[in-house]
Amino acid sequence: MPMTQTCTSTQNEILRYIYGETSSSENVFIEQSILSDNELLDYYLDCLELKEDMDKISLSPKESTIQNIMNFSKSFRPVI
Amino acid sequence: MEKILVNESELISAYLHGDEKAFATLVNRYKSKVYTTIYLVVKDSYVAEDLTQDTFIKAIKTLKEGRYNEEGKFLPWILRIAHNLSIDYFRRAKRYPNVVFEDGNSVFNSLNFAEDSIESAQIQKESHEHLRSLIKKLPQQQREVLVMRHYEDLSFQEIAEATGVSINTALGRMRYALINLRKLMSKTKYAYDTNLYINAE
Repeated sequence: MPMTQTCTSTQNEILRYIYGETSSSENVFIEQSILSDNELLDYYLDCLELKEDMDKISLSPKESTIQNIMNFSKSFRPVI
Repeated sequence: MEKILVNESELISAYLHGDEKAFATLVNRYKSKVYTTIYLVVKDSYVAEDLTQDTFIKAIKTLKEGRYNEEGKFLPWILRIAHNLSIDYFRRAKRYPNVVFEDGNSVFNSLNFAEDSIESAQIQKESHEHLRSLIKKLPQQQREVLVMRHYEDLSFQEIAEATGVSINTALGRMRYALINLRKLMSKTKYAYDTNLYINAE
């Protein structure tokens, strides 16, 4: 399975690349690595897919929770 | 109607001058980010509701007492409050363990009405719901890094500093989190396909 391969240092760099933490010179190296190694390409695509799926997770608190917050805000008077 | 996206600094300034609607805009803009971040750490919707409330109350106090000094960076600031409260909750929970089921939910969360069960069964078909349940199954250290990087938008270096480990350890935990998520997904996919096959017969 692609994501269980042990080329950990490059995989770490791919993670930083996916989250936009790499420099432009690092990007060149990472992109070359991905293009020349099918396992790294699979790893990259798997990570990208998971990242996109995680972006879709968005939960909301109950309306009563928001109302409690707004009520507290209206009534709170700081001691200065 | 054209929507005007007012920036955070303007909203905070208006709020500090007594405009409660400005704060309501901030709350509505970020409530999901805050709640999702907390929920994925504490894995309990009741606790997540409470901690979301505590997070915003802490923000209100800090803002109104004039102690807020991170102008223009409201979201990372409030997510940091949310994260710290979630970690505090874990520390307290370790001292006073709650009764939990295998899936990590509190025993109190099982006291749902019938309609809730039907509703949640329907929602479970959604893939993002499924992924959320898999994230909750990750070991705590891996889940923490994943939530901090993905939902709190901290860099790996910042995560390393916040959790007292090297950047390579933080990256390693993230790597294993993704590997484990992928494994869990393929396992459940296999089980799902098998059921379909049996039913088809």
